[in-house]
Amino acid sequence: MKKQLFSVILVIALLLATLTGCGSAPATTDTPTTQQTSSSNNTSGGGNTTTAGPVTITYGLWDSNQAVGFEKMAQEFTAANPDIKIEIQLNGWSDYWTALDAAATAGTLPDTFWMHSNNFYRYASNEMMMPLDSYIASSDKIDLKNYPEGLVSMYNFNGKQWCIPKDFDTIGLWYNKTMFDEAGLAYPDETWTWDDLYEAAKKLTKPDGSQYGFLAAMHNQEGFYNFIYQNGGTVITPDKKSGYDDPKTIEAMEYWVKFVKEGLSPQIFGDPERAPAMENGLCAMGFFGSWNLSGFAANEYMSKNFDVTVLPASPSGGRASIYNGLGYAIAPNTKNADAAWRWVEYLASKEGQLRQAELGVAISAYIGTADAWVNSNKTFHIGCFIDMLDYAVIRPYSNTTSTWEDKTYEALRGAFTGEKTVEQACRDAARVMNEILAQE
Amino acid sequence: MKHRLSKARINEWFWGWFLIAPTTIGLIILNIIPAIQTFYLSFFKSGDFGRGNIFVGLENYKKLINDPQVWGAVRNTLLYTLLVVPIGVFISAIIAVLLNRNLKGQGIYRSIYYIPVIATPAAVTMVWRWLYDYHYGLINYVLKQLGLNPVNWIDDPNIALVSIAIISIWSSIGYNMVLILAGLQEIPKVYYEASNIDGANAVTQFFKITLPMVSPTLFFVITTSVIQCMQVFDVVYMMIDVARPSYDRTVSLVYLFYNNSFKYLNKGYGSAIVMVLLLLISIITVIQVKLQKKWVNYIS
Repeated sequence: MKKQLFSVILVIALLLATLTGCGSAPATTDTPTTQQTSSSNNTSGGGNTTTAGPVTITYGLWDSNQAVGFEKMAQEFTAANPDIKIEIQLNGWSDYWTALDAAATAGTLPDTFWMHSNNFYRYASNEMMMPLDSYIASSDKIDLKNYPEGLVSMYNFNGKQWCIPKDFDTIGLWYNKTMFDEAGLAYPDETWTWDDLYEAAKKLTKPDGSQYGFLAAMHNQEGFYNFIYQNGGTVITPDKKSGYDDPKTIEAMEYWVKFVKEGLSPQIFGDPERAPAMENGLCAMGFFGSWNLSGFAANEYMSKNFDVTVLPASPSGGRASIYNGLGYAIAPNTKNADAAWRWVEYLASKEGQLRQAELGVAISAYIGTADAWVNSNKTFHIGCFIDMLDYAVIRPYSNTTSTWEDKTYEALRGAFTGEKTVEQACRDAARVMNEILAQE
Repeated sequence: MKHRLSKARINEWFWGWFLIAPTTIGLIILNIIPAIQTFYLSFFKSGDFGRGNIFVGLENYKKLINDPQVWGAVRNTLLYTLLVVPIGVFISAIIAVLLNRNLKGQGIYRSIYYIPVIATPAAVTMVWRWLYDYHYGLINYVLKQLGLNPVNWIDDPNIALVSIAIISIWSSIGYNMVLILAGLQEIPKVYYEASNIDGANAVTQFFKITLPMVSPTLFFVITTSVIQCMQVFDVVYMMIDVARPSYDRTVSLVYLFYNNSFKYLNKGYGSAIVMVLLLLISIITVIQVKLQKKWVNYIS
């Protein structure tokens, strides 16, 4: 009997411990200042439940480099708005979309999150974002005229505005100055064409495989998409057909793959291996987007040896740089819509956009804040990313972009390994892409 | 026949059901219902965010039969299992036999072999990916120092599956070893003493005493390893991106299911793929259970 009593007490004690554990958890996450306000509420005599504690707004994003800057901005925002706390939810690019899809299905989306042109249609057409029109209309800080028109219309669907542009990005040619000096070559500039790139890559490649002239990785946005549009080709036609069988596209792909075939570029397929190829001095030149800035600037080797310039033009002088921009979205079922809007409003306002630019997080979408971004970094000549806007091409997209992008990678792979001719690979890519587009 | 349930009998029933209830409920909620739902979903073309599913009958299965990638995944999964299970079990059996003797620092060795089991698979794979790296990896560095050619561990379609198998073998040895060791320690010493008197040598003892006596444990280890291997996902997912040339030769059924369900957002087709896996595992397990009568010894 004694034994039984003991175990009953033990069980009750354990249950109580877990209950109190649950109960005390939220309190410990409070900041000291908010604890003060809540305790003063208590002493003033209960019943006043609506003004209890600060609300926490979750903020989903996928870029760990940018998260550092937003950590700072969130602190500044909370300092100015003590009733709102921001909780950043960071995921890698590919996991982000898997997690967001599951969250949307379960109705647990983060209060505020990043949107990308690849996935915008799916979320907008299923109303997995909150239409922002009424908020924008009543806001004195947000006027859609202050953002590039292409980006605003990209995030407009069915006459409703689902996202406010966050930033934009273009692709530049990053090069290793030290390697150019060693080879006695002049640095690349705006006069360069593919042929200059090719000749320089030849001179910068060492026969022992320790150094390659150029990084022609199998990557679309920071790779062959730029060549395709410079050459007058396309990835997707206006009537939603694949452009991979366009002769101009194939020609551009052939030039791109030539670097790999002739040993001027290593064979690199994995996305996470591209930046290390530059950071470890394996490649002398490579195409990388403006969003890499904070990562590259933080790398000692890169900041010492590298600089960046505009992309080379095609042999006939065709220019292009793939251009894309992210958007800020709010969950349709958020419990704190007003607080979520205040955070998004701050991020998208001139003040927030200037701060994002100053911190070097990304090129802000707000017109007139680009200089602040250019001035945020003295290590590299990043003004070229803004210069390329004149001829930038929006990253090709449709309703099922992420699916056909992966499937075309599968088809194009063989061209890089030499299993297939480039032409064959492009035709295969066009076929799988058209199959997917037909089901849209 | 008349059944009269005594009070004691009812009481016994109640407690029986009560005690297995947590496991049963957990199994039903977490395994059985989702499995039935998956089967159901495999007849649908799934809409976005779980809404607007369209019934398509056997369409997904028809597509699956004509999809070379699915058959490739079946081959990869079976090949991977054939690589990992025999080699893994063999190595862990040897280590278990060695550790079963009165070695000095026995506990330390056992802990060392068990560490990979505790380590998170994702973290383990990240480290291995770095070791395998073609340009800066430690393994290729050592090969170069020895004057050998570097190997493209991750991107070469002929090698990538072996690279993955090595990681899995390395991380499963400790677990299997502990199980086999427990089996070995249950063998009564008297058998060995008796056979010593009869003049049996170590080899005969191993084949006539150790192996039959440990066979139930071995059977358990092999069956569970096979099921685990058939469901391989994390290592392949962490190592081989869709863009890599070795993707077609390494993609496992679960990885293909994941890509179709969560990346290409075709949950119906993904469910059909996972049904193929379920069928395969069931067939293999039934065969194993049938075969066990031929070699597993339950006399103790």
